Parts: sequence; C-alpha cells; structure tokens
Amino acid sequence: MSGFLLRRLGASLLLLLLVLTVTFFLLRLLPGDPMHLFEGQRLTVEQQQKLEKYYGFNRPLPQQYAAWLAAVALRGDWGTSLSQQRPVTSALLEALPATAALASAALGVEYAAALLLGVAAAGRRRSAVDHAIRIGSLLLFSLPTFWLGLMAILLFSYLLPVLPASHMHSVDAELMSPVGWLFDLLRHLTLPALVLGLSATGGTARFVRASLIEVMSQDYIRAARAKGLSELRVVWVHGMRNAAVPLIQLFALSLPALLSGSLVTEVVFSWPGLGQLTFNAILTRDYPLILGSTALSATLVILGNLVADVLQALVDPRARDA
Amino acid sequence: MLTKRKVLRASSLALLVGGLLLAGCKGGEERSAASSSAAEPATPRRGGTVVLGWTGEPSGVNELTDPSSLPTLELLFRLYLHLLEEQPDYEVHPPTLAPQLAKSYEWSDGHKTLTFHLREDAMWSDGVPVTAEDVRWTWQAQVNPDVAWDSFDAKRWITDVEVVDPHTVRMRFSRVYAKQLLDANEGVILPKHAWEKLPFSQWRQNSEWFKAHLVVDGPFTVSSWVHQQQIVMQRNDRYYEKGLPYLDRAVMRIVPDQASAFAQLLNGELDFVPQIAPSDVPRVKANPRLQLIEYWFNLYVTVVWNNERPLFSDPEVRQALTMAIDRQTIVDTVLGPFGRVATSPITSLVWAHDKSIKPWPYDPAKATAILAAKGWKDTDGDGVLDRQGKPFAFDLITNTGNQLRSDATVMIQEQLKKVGIRVTPRQLEWNTMISSILGGSFDAAMMGYSLDTSLDMTTNFHSRAIAEGGNNPRYRNPEMDRLLETAASQPEILAERPYLDRIQQILHRDQPMTLLWESKRLTAVNKRVRNVKPTVAASLFNLKEWWIKPEG
Repeated sequence: MSGFLLRRLGASLLLLLLVLTVTFFLLRLLPGDPMHLFEGQRLTVEQQQKLEKYYGFNRPLPQQYAAWLAAVALRGDWGTSLSQQRPVTSALLEALPATAALASAALGVEYAAALLLGVAAAGRRRSAVDHAIRIGSLLLFSLPTFWLGLMAILLFSYLLPVLPASHMHSVDAELMSPVGWLFDLLRHLTLPALVLGLSATGGTARFVRASLIEVMSQDYIRAARAKGLSELRVVWVHGMRNAAVPLIQLFALSLPALLSGSLVTEVVFSWPGLGQLTFNAILTRDYPLILGSTALSATLVILGNLVADVLQALVDPRARDA
Repeated sequence: MLTKRKVLRASSLALLVGGLLLAGCKGGEERSAASSSAAEPATPRRGGTVVLGWTGEPSGVNELTDPSSLPTLELLFRLYLHLLEEQPDYEVHPPTLAPQLAKSYEWSDGHKTLTFHLREDAMWSDGVPVTAEDVRWTWQAQVNPDVAWDSFDAKRWITDVEVVDPHTVRMRFSRVYAKQLLDANEGVILPKHAWEKLPFSQWRQNSEWFKAHLVVDGPFTVSSWVHQQQIVMQRNDRYYEKGLPYLDRAVMRIVPDQASAFAQLLNGELDFVPQIAPSDVPRVKANPRLQLIEYWFNLYVTVVWNNERPLFSDPEVRQALTMAIDRQTIVDTVLGPFGRVATSPITSLVWAHDKSIKPWPYDPAKATAILAAKGWKDTDGDGVLDRQGKPFAFDLITNTGNQLRSDATVMIQEQLKKVGIRVTPRQLEWNTMISSILGGSFDAAMMGYSLDTSLDMTTNFHSRAIAEGGNNPRYRNPEMDRLLETAASQPEILAERPYLDRIQQILHRDQPMTLLWESKRLTAVNKRVRNVKPTVAASLFNLKEWWIKPEG
C-alpha cells in the first residue's frame, strides 16, 4: 500500500508542476498586462518601467519562470499580489475557509438530496415519481447557477424575506456572541449552499439511480430479500454499500466542479472565497495571485483524486495493483 | 483640483470596466444633485449606521501606493484631508477651493511661491496635531521614485516644500501655469509620525501595514476591514469640525454583482447604491422606501477612431462617419431621458463648454456624398463601399459587461450598413481591450472618458501623448499641440477660455472621435437616510453630513 501511495504522490506532484508551468506561460500569452491595473492613474513611462523592474516583469520569460519556481520550491514564497499589495499566501489563506465552508455545505446538500432522490427514483422505476425526479433533476442541472442564485435571492430575501441575500456575515457580526455569530454564518450560508449544491444534485441523483438499479439486480440482493429483510434495509444497507463505490470516484470528481461552480455562486452572493479572489485576479492580470490560486485549486483537486484512489484501493484491492 | 481629478479619472475607468456607465451633462440646478429629501427637518440627528453597496473593494488606505479605483478614493477622501477642498461649483466658473487643512493661502514671488496657513485645531486620530511637517513629508513621499505614486505628474514643477513654522508651509514652483494650485493640492496629507517608520522602499507590497498603522484626520476612520466583505467606517471623534459627522458608522458592503446589489437595496439590506441601471429606475420609483437621485455626470462615451489607420486618417471621412450615425436615436434607445448627444469633451455642465458648437446632424445622404468624393463607392455591388479594391470595413471594439455600450455598437453597425460600411462589433475583456487601444492595434473603439476640472486635455489630444497612452485616437495636429500648450501655460484656468473654445471647435471639425452621449448618474438611496448629496466629484462627497431619520 505504501508503494502505491508513494507512486500516486509522486505522480500528483508532477501533475501539479505541469499545471503551474502551463498556467505560468499561458497567462503571459494573454493580451493585457498587470500594469493596466494602474490605468487611469497615468503612470509615467519611467514609473511604469520602474514598477516592471520592481516586479521583475522586464526580464526574459524563462528567467522569470525560473525565479518564480525557485522562490516557491525553495522558500515557499508565492510572491506578492499586484492588485492587493500583500503576500499571495495571506490573500489565499483568508479566502480558503470561506470556500471550504461553502463547498462542504454544498457537497452535503448535493449528496443528501442526490441519495434521497436517486434511491426514490431507483425504487420506483418508470413510475410518476421517477419521471418527476428525472425532469426535476434535469431542470436543476440545466439552469445556470447565477440565475438560480438570483431567483433564490428574489424569493427568499425579497418576496419572502427570511434569509440574507449575500455576504458571509451581517453588518454587525463582530458584536455578536459566538453562538449568535455561528447562527449568523449558517443563515448566510444557507442560500449559496443550497444553490450550489442543488445545481449539482441532478447529475449525481441520476448516477445514484443508475448505480443502485444495477446493484439491485444482483443475486445477493435477491438473497437478502429472500431472507426476509425489510426493503429499507435491503436498499440502504446491502444495496447502497456497493452502489456507493462508484460514488466515491464521483465525489472526488465533483471537487473541481464545485470549485468552478463556486466562482459564479461567490460572485452572486458576495461570498468572500477563492472564486471571487481568482476572478478579480484574472481581470487585473495579477499573475502571482492567479498562480497561487491555481496551485491551491489544483492541489485540492489532485488531493481529492488521491483520496478517492486510496479509498477505492481500500475497498477494492484490485485497484491497488492496477 | 486633484481630488476631483483623480476621482473622475478613476470613475471613467470604473465605468469602462464595470457595468452601467451613465454619464452626462447639463448645466442647471440638477447638476449638483437633489438632496435626498425635499423638506428636511431643521435639525439633523446624530447616530446610526448606513450601509453602502459597492461593486468593487477599495484597494487600501495609502493613496500613494494602493491602486486608485473609484471605491478606493471614495474611502480615502473620507479618511484624510486635503489642504483645500474642491467644490462642485464649476458650472459658471472654475471650481472654488474651500479651506480644509489650510485655512488660507497666498501667492508671492511672481506666482511661483505658494504659502499655506494651516488650521491649528486639526489633529490626527491619535491626538498628534497635523502640522507643516506632515505636508512636507507627504510631498517627499509623493515624489519618491520607490513609492511611484501614479499622480506624481502633479508635483513635477514643485521644487521644494519648506516648513516655515508648525502651521505655515511654503511650496516653490519652477514655472507659472494654469493649474498650479490644483497641483499643489493634489493628494491627501499623510501622517508623518505614524508612517515614517516604514522606509519608502518598502511601501509597495505592504498594503496591510498601513491598515494596521492607520491614523487619520478626516471625519471617518476604519474600525474593521474584512476582505471581499465589508469595511466599517466609524466616526473619528478627533475630527476638527465639531459635531460632525452625524453618523456613527458607514459600512461599505462589497457586492460585486449589480443585480444582487439592486435586490439588496429593494429588501432594505443596503441603504445606498451609487449607480443603478436606467432599466431599474421604474422599480426604484415604485418603491415607497426608496428615492432616486439623478444628476448629470461629467463623462462622455465616444467612438474612438484610430487616426493612424488609413480608413480614418482623413478628417472629412470622420465627419462623414459621424453624420452617418444617428446619435439621437441611439441615446433615446439606450438611455431615454437620462442621456443626450455629446458635442465636446468639455461636457455641457462645465463652465468652459462651448455652447456655440452644434452636434453634427444625422445626414446619411451627405455622408454618402462625402465618401463618394473621397473615392469610396460600391463598385462590385456587394453593398459595401470600396476603394482600390479594399472594402470600407472595420472592427468596433468595446468592453464586456456593459450592456449599454454593446447595444450601441450593434445600432452603429446597422446605421453604417445603410451607407455601405461594414462594421463588426467585438466585445473584449477590459484588460485585453485596453491593451489593443494602448498598442494602437485597433480600428475603432467605444470608450468612456471624463475630463477633470483642470480641463487640461494635453493627455487626451496632444501628439506627444500618443506614446504615453492618453491620446487614444492617435490624433496629430500641430495646431492642437500649440493650443494645448498655450492654454496650459496661462497663469490661471479662467484665462484659458479662448484657447479652450478654439480647441473644442477644432475637435468638432476634425472629429478624431465621434462623441456619442453624456448621461445622468442614477443613485438610489433609502429615504431613512437624509441629506444625501452626491456630486460629480464623489458619491460620498458630503457623507459627514448625512443623518438618519428617526423611526416612525
């Protein structure tokens, strides 16, 4: 198992390096440059040159790459954000908890809803319930997240004002007790998590349904039924245990989707996470911040896959030797 | 003055980048914006919190190193004071400069020495008095090459700043010119005692340090700053105008999405949104809790022709293009009552606007005749004019995320098609668009600009400014260069009038760009907030005088 882990870890690091290298050079191919952040500020030509020198943009690209890579690899120094004028790591670390909170809440929503809907649909194949769930899933899946977000705001913040429309906290959150603060956070988390989670539910529910239907036709399920076990137990204990194996893979694969989906959700709900941070960094050509954020997202995605592989290997020994 | 200049500069940027961009102009009472309530009770009330919605986050608290976006300046000018405060009263004369940190000033030495007398009761928020030392040290920071302040140009002709006594400071200029006073006043005064601990060479990259060592002399200070969320401005109790501000706190909530901001305004989470879209106006008017404040804004939207491209190098062809565009219909369609056709970069709400200039008429027949005389005819019958085998076809670029402008580009495409010109509208992401414009690799671009109150158009139309990136049409006219230089070297702005008139007339004749519209800025505010008077200079111009109406 340790050999397997080492192999996977090595491959992951290599992949990370590849992603960052490609991002580094692709970014520089983009038209526009970070000095236009200062557009409207009338930098003199000398000032612009001075700043370019200061940030090292005047050196040949391969040299810049080598310097950047050395700083990252040897000193763990991701550089300074050009738009925020502070270390990239501090900007990322500040945004990470918000995205983590949103992504895990959304994952919770997604899988809870998908399991319920998928099992319900699988248990009543081709019934009205199955059709309704299929159409509902398809609808949720097809609606753009920003539209869903705006509708949620309209519905729950304006027409029926029960939940806040945006941000992670109320204006006065700092003055609240710890319990009040947490409650405030949960209230703010509800709408974005529901929107992000439910928009991904459709696909996952279909997957659960298909996987469960396949499992439920197996002999051992028939045996379980023959033993006289309750249908609930047959489905949730015997059926789901095997139907869930492919779901682990899906779970890991939903991380990138969540991260990219959270970009739109974060902007609509003014959620202070990585999505918004990256979005602004790209608009301002904030190279160091874009690279830092890409590295973080890529690491999360690779880690997700790694964990999935390990879990897979644990439940299915055949995967280890593959 | 600078304050306003910077804000306007940044605002034109924000308008370009962001969403709505309304701008406009017109003289008259509407300009300085209606107050938020017609019948104000006599006594403002102290206390309370207002929540302001901003689509962008301020970049920091140091004017010299933090990128100056519109929200940054709106915040900074509530935290720090200038020597003088430029007033929004430039309809009939150049703006007046009211006392702020300086209670008075005088000129000597043939208008080359400017002496400021500082008020004695101004204090930093930590109790240290604001003195002439702060003024001198601020100037040293402003001109320091390591600091690389973006408005460094304003200090180019100041050779020395001398501390005469703790409350008297003297600035020396190497030459006499029109905007000396504005240049002297450019930039807020910074706290020497608090910030000199960090060497100038370390100022960039240390935005957070200044937040941690924040010391202010303006009406508000910052009590908390959560990135991408909110900035809480709190009353500075040591502010020299006793009794002000009325508000306890003003919270800048960062709401990047315009539609979300508007929804939050409707449900009461936000009290104030500085700019809404014309299409949202009916819903504001229908809401009894909200009030719309509309005022003509000092920004014009224009089609910039790349004068270096053969298609657009002839002034008469550019005139024909202007006459082939039905600007009135475009304005009526995209802006309705909130816009009007623009005729000059000095918009019609400014004292120096040349009222004798009448907009070029919409006259496609005449446009066709001019183009034909220049050899542009449809010889191959494909509906597109051609000359020496080349069709009259070009790309018209504008930035993404701006519905008004993308609508206008499509209308221009249709209108020019009627005279046989093929236009391809293209939307580019902001940074990409700016890159092609500065590099001169574009045909035509739809852009918004605002001219600051110094009315110095050297950066916009002087041939020297092509390389520096300000003269986007890449317009070259030796007469224009001379006029711009002469205007700028007058001893005061008022004396520039005859030159400014001539400049406007030449621009009208040569049409380096086709001006489309000026428009109103539409601000929405909850009626519980009183005495809200946004100006062209700043949405939060009189924030210290806002107050909250008691419930019931």
